[in-house]
Amino acid sequence: MGLIGVFVVRMRLSAIGYSMSHGAFAGAALGVATATNPLLTGVLFASGTALFIGPIADKARLHADTITSIVFPLNMALAFVFLTLVPEVGLSSQVANVLWGSIISMTTADLIYLVTLFAATLAILYFVWKELFAIMFNRKLAEADGINTKPFIYLIIFLAGIVITFSLKLVGGLLIYALLFNPASTILQFSENMRKVVVASPIIGMTTTVTGLFVSLFLDLPVGSCIVIVSTIVFAIALLLSPKRRRKEENEK
Amino acid sequence: MVGFKTEEVNKQSKRPTIETIFKLEAVSTVYEGARRTAIKNVNLTVKQNELVYVVGPNAAGKTTLLETINGMLPTFKGEVRVFGLNVKTHGRQIRCGIGYVPQDFMVKPGEPYTAIDVVLMGRYGQIGFLHHPTEKDKAKALEIMKLIGVDELANRPIGKLSGGQQQKVMLARALAKNPKILLLDEPFSNLDPDSRGQIPMLITKLHQERKLTTVIVTHDIHHMLDKCNRVIVVSGGRVTFDGTPEKALPLVENHPHTTSLETHYH
Repeated sequence: MGLIGVFVVRMRLSAIGYSMSHGAFAGAALGVATATNPLLTGVLFASGTALFIGPIADKARLHADTITSIVFPLNMALAFVFLTLVPEVGLSSQVANVLWGSIISMTTADLIYLVTLFAATLAILYFVWKELFAIMFNRKLAEADGINTKPFIYLIIFLAGIVITFSLKLVGGLLIYALLFNPASTILQFSENMRKVVVASPIIGMTTTVTGLFVSLFLDLPVGSCIVIVSTIVFAIALLLSPKRRRKEENEK
Repeated sequence: MVGFKTEEVNKQSKRPTIETIFKLEAVSTVYEGARRTAIKNVNLTVKQNELVYVVGPNAAGKTTLLETINGMLPTFKGEVRVFGLNVKTHGRQIRCGIGYVPQDFMVKPGEPYTAIDVVLMGRYGQIGFLHHPTEKDKAKALEIMKLIGVDELANRPIGKLSGGQQQKVMLARALAKNPKILLLDEPFSNLDPDSRGQIPMLITKLHQERKLTTVIVTHDIHHMLDKCNRVIVVSGGRVTFDGTPEKALPLVENHPHTTSLETHYH
């Protein structure tokens, strides 16, 4: 997630990523309610949200943020409607998993999915790195240099949707987007080399996740919340220490 | 307002000749968005190795004209052919042969890209999908940077460079692909006093040595007027004059945004 987050943040797709996170959440809620695979419905909802936002924003000439502001509460509303539809009380722990995430509910199969997904994402990103690198610098210039930028942006949105959905079990639908943005935003405070950013972001993501996990075990608090709190603290520290920000302040003096 | 009619100055043949490098026929912007000034019924033929100045007041449609030529603004009526190819169907291919430097391009400090990263990007379209830049591509990028005089800045973060240095890096990026056409949008803005003299000289040199067809959008034309062989005046989205710099002078001398023409000639 930390890896794909770099592209989402740098391509200014945060609004779409944010909406998709909650789309995945609504989808997973529907999956639980209808006793189908939450992963499948999650991916469907996340990609549905992305496919919905992009073209509508283009056609209606609205800022993606405007659409996001409308789609985000809609997805949350849908998620809660689906969750109230869950018939049996016995399922409430499953509901809680979707909401808050739970490391205990992760199965070996989930873990294999995640590792495979990470490897596949790495491979895909390696092959289209050149295009993504140019688009992240400036989309218009990339287009002017003969790169057809749209498919690559859709690719990132699609990958983000899948990665979000598969990580949903761990952090839960309410907090998932923090895991997408925090590591990328953290490392972007420091590095002036895009390649290092891409390597460091997932490492920061993993470190904060594991730290959050231990905090949650020791303090007996929800895993998702702990991970997000830890990653936010790390981001705040990065912000304070950031040489880029300090330089900016010096320039302003 | 300049009182020339487009039809009078643009009686070009319908079929592109070999030396025609790009041709606009009855081109109008279809939508009139707030972001862009529309162009209206523009006819324009530019031949190989021409150095053309496009002048006109702010929001006259000069940038729209440039971005219609390289197919960045695909919503237009009429036909645009570059290298004999239709820009609507071969846009990507055409853009691989056009170097474009947009207006007021400034990179924020702290952007995680070095100058050579940015120059190398100019070659990405040509390198092609699924291929990575080779050592040869890097050498080519460095060679261009040397020509422009920014090779010593190659490994510095681009956001830390001055406005003039960034402008040169952007010019190097546009040239890295070995283009046949160079489109420059206000290339003399953002320049420090040193570069103000260097950049026009550099553009002239490139135009002459590399036989580059060059189109410069500007309101500051006194730097290089004697080297340019054609001036196009755009006003209200229309081409209102198209001719030699000498003929342009009496027409634009009352023009508030092109007074530098006057300065140069008197």
